[in-house]
Amino acid sequence: MSSRSDPLLRVENLKTQFFTDAGTVRAVDGISFEVYEGEIVGLVGESGAGKSVASMSLLRLVDSPGQIVDGEITYKGETIFGLEEGPDGDLREREDMLTNEEVRTRIRGNEIAVIFQDPMESLNPVFTVGSQLREFIELNRDLSSDEARREAVDMLREVGIPDPAERYEEYPHQFSGGMRQRVLIAMALACEPNLIIADEPTTALDVTVEGQIIDLVDDLQAKYGTSFIWVTHDMGVVAEICDRVNVMYLGEIVEQAPVDELFYDTKHPYTEALLNSMPRPDRTVAELDPIRGVMPEAINPPAGCRFHPRCPDAREACKRIHPENREVARADGQPHRAACIKHDVFGDEYEESVPLEGRAQETAASATDGGESEESGVESRSQSGNGSGSTRKTDGRRGGDDRE
Amino acid sequence: MGLLRYTAGRVVQAIPVLIGITVITFILANLAPGDPVRLMLQGQEVNQEVIARIERQYGLHRPLHERYLTYMGNVLQGDLGHSIHRDRPVTALLAQRAGPTLMLVLSAYAFALATAIPLGIIAATRRNEPTDHVSRIVALIGVSTPSFWIGIVLILIFAIQLGWLPSSGLVYPWRSPDQYGYSGYPELAYQTIRHLLLPMIALGTLQMATLMRVERTQMIESLQGEYVKLARAYGVPERTILRKHAFQVAQLPIITIIGLNLSTALGGAVLTEYVFNINGIGRLFLEAIQSLDYQLIMGITIVIGTMFVVGVIITDISYAYIDPRVTYGEHD
Ligand SMILES: Nc1ncnc2c1ncn2[C@@H]1O[C@H](COP(=O)(O)OP(=O)(O)OP(=O)(O)O)[C@@H](O)[C@H]1O
Ligand code: SF4
Ligand SMILES: [Mg+2]
Repeated sequence: MSSRSDPLLRVENLKTQFFTDAGTVRAVDGISFEVYEGEIVGLVGESGAGKSVASMSLLRLVDSPGQIVDGEITYKGETIFGLEEGPDGDLREREDMLTNEEVRTRIRGNEIAVIFQDPMESLNPVFTVGSQLREFIELNRDLSSDEARREAVDMLREVGIPDPAERYEEYPHQFSGGMRQRVLIAMALACEPNLIIADEPTTALDVTVEGQIIDLVDDLQAKYGTSFIWVTHDMGVVAEICDRVNVMYLGEIVEQAPVDELFYDTKHPYTEALLNSMPRPDRTVAELDPIRGVMPEAINPPAGCRFHPRCPDAREACKRIHPENREVARADGQPHRAACIKHDVFGDEYEESVPLEGRAQETAASATDGGESEESGVESRSQSGNGSGSTRKTDGRRGGDDRE
Repeated sequence: MGLLRYTAGRVVQAIPVLIGITVITFILANLAPGDPVRLMLQGQEVNQEVIARIERQYGLHRPLHERYLTYMGNVLQGDLGHSIHRDRPVTALLAQRAGPTLMLVLSAYAFALATAIPLGIIAATRRNEPTDHVSRIVALIGVSTPSFWIGIVLILIFAIQLGWLPSSGLVYPWRSPDQYGYSGYPELAYQTIRHLLLPMIALGTLQMATLMRVERTQMIESLQGEYVKLARAYGVPERTILRKHAFQVAQLPIITIIGLNLSTALGGAVLTEYVFNINGIGRLFLEAIQSLDYQLIMGITIVIGTMFVVGVIITDISYAYIDPRVTYGEHD
């Protein structure tokens, strides 16, 4: 996968905002990423990071009062969204941008399909499961009603629903949560899209069912070669299923890397915090380190680095400088990007500025492992001079880390 | 099969309700002031013996519970008793007056549904736009204005001021045109509609206002459903979403509201019939009360009570039939 052709989907500097009475919610604020043929790309972040808004933007289905205000979305060379400068300097929609009707008929369902989080609510309660499947298949593939029906039954069987012909006639309330999620997966696959956006498809399910669904998707993905954007807030799921990962914080992508690289050579403090808060077999619950505080509102994001009020590594400069998402390493020929001024090669603002006082003390107070206070951690880091800022202490997970 | 059993169950459940209705009316009618025999004699001076004989003739001398049981026995055989005052069987009087009332109530509902559903949908899709605000004001007026008052205003405007429509009585389409001296069936139909229009609107406005608000709320909720989002994401056209996906779900509560509002509709019919001089059950009821014709009062109460109970059962069953999630009380 090192040398690649054009991506299936390319998102560049996408911005989606909600114009509410309380102000402009910058839900997605300039994200860029690609999805290549046959890969599963993760979109991770806490609740409210903008994952769902970003996903729906790709289909141009942003709820009012929201709007895509900037950026470019290209799918198989077609422009789902794109702006250009008009003669009077205003931004206007590009000539080659697909019309609403074209997006509806050519993209939604048959090129990009979705699976939502809540399998209980996603199916219409008053229609049979089969009729809903058939409707979407008929709409997105050139099949007659009878053929669509056969296809629907086949797909139900494919996703592991027993007695598919009988279940076809049943209503959603007659299915369990896990079974409904299988129906939604069948729905997505049956439309034969090239890309499936799965927006937290297992969050509403219990752990056993979650495991089954993930295995199912893994198998089917290998069989059909469909690309996935897998939205989740669970790093464990990411580790299990994703090829590459985008970590989102407050409308921005703060780190982007192939999955192993992200786990073993974490570059962004937020990703690190996410990993520390993740339950793992080699750690007791007491050792879990939840991320301090809550993510601020996307209406008035903090100046400078948006993560600075919660970042254990924050320094004075972080309040001023808004870090760009830059390539900080390469793995298997793929970029590893992170948006943190610790990695800025030009300029020494981070190195020269002082740690944020309150932050550092809080961190010291809450440090549970390693016995080393955060202040001294910061100290040694600034002396190391490589700017990688690896503060991970003795958690063993980073055995492959070769920089220390 | 499940549905049949469910239906049977609902009918059985209705029996105690109907018994309750009859017991209460029977007691109230017999506690009412005024002696029916004296009232019937209209002040003529007669001796006690004549009164006692009349009482015996109608069984009025027997204790209340015995009279109730006899009465119910007759009711079950389709005999609602004899109107002393009018000297005619109650069933005959009711049969004569049922047609106009049914025609009025059904047309009012038809009017209400035909206007409320499209208006509710429009209000839902133009939420918080001027159309929505106007519809909210109209609904508020509709809910808070009594039907007889609307009737009087309609008469003042359309019958008296403009002279476009008649203000009194109905034309019955089941009669022959000759009875009215009309040229033929087209004129009969035309006149039927002309006469029905104002009372229908007077009685239907309240229903329209209630249903419109419910329709709006339900459509808004339904349109925000995840299943609507999913349909959009799979490229379903917006009009199909509105007419099929969101609409079907939104209609379920409407059916319940129709059933529950039957009582207000029947109550409104009494006053509407009075205002528009329509010879329906409602007017008959008012006349029966005025003359203390308690056999008639009871007969009408039982019929209206039964109509209400049947109406609720029908809505219940149709709800169960339309909503697949209702499991007929078996399991879930
Ligand atoms: N219809 C809307 N109107 C106003 N703001 C909205 C709307 N939808 C989303 N937002 C805002 O956009 C931001 C991102 O929301 P989004 O649903 O994308 O988060 P998420 O990352 O998917 O979170 P979760 O894990 O909870 O699903 C939030 O601040 C949210 O409040
Ligand atoms: S820029 Fe500063 S505040 Fe932001 S993540 Fe990096 S160290 Fe933390
Ligand atoms: Mg979400």
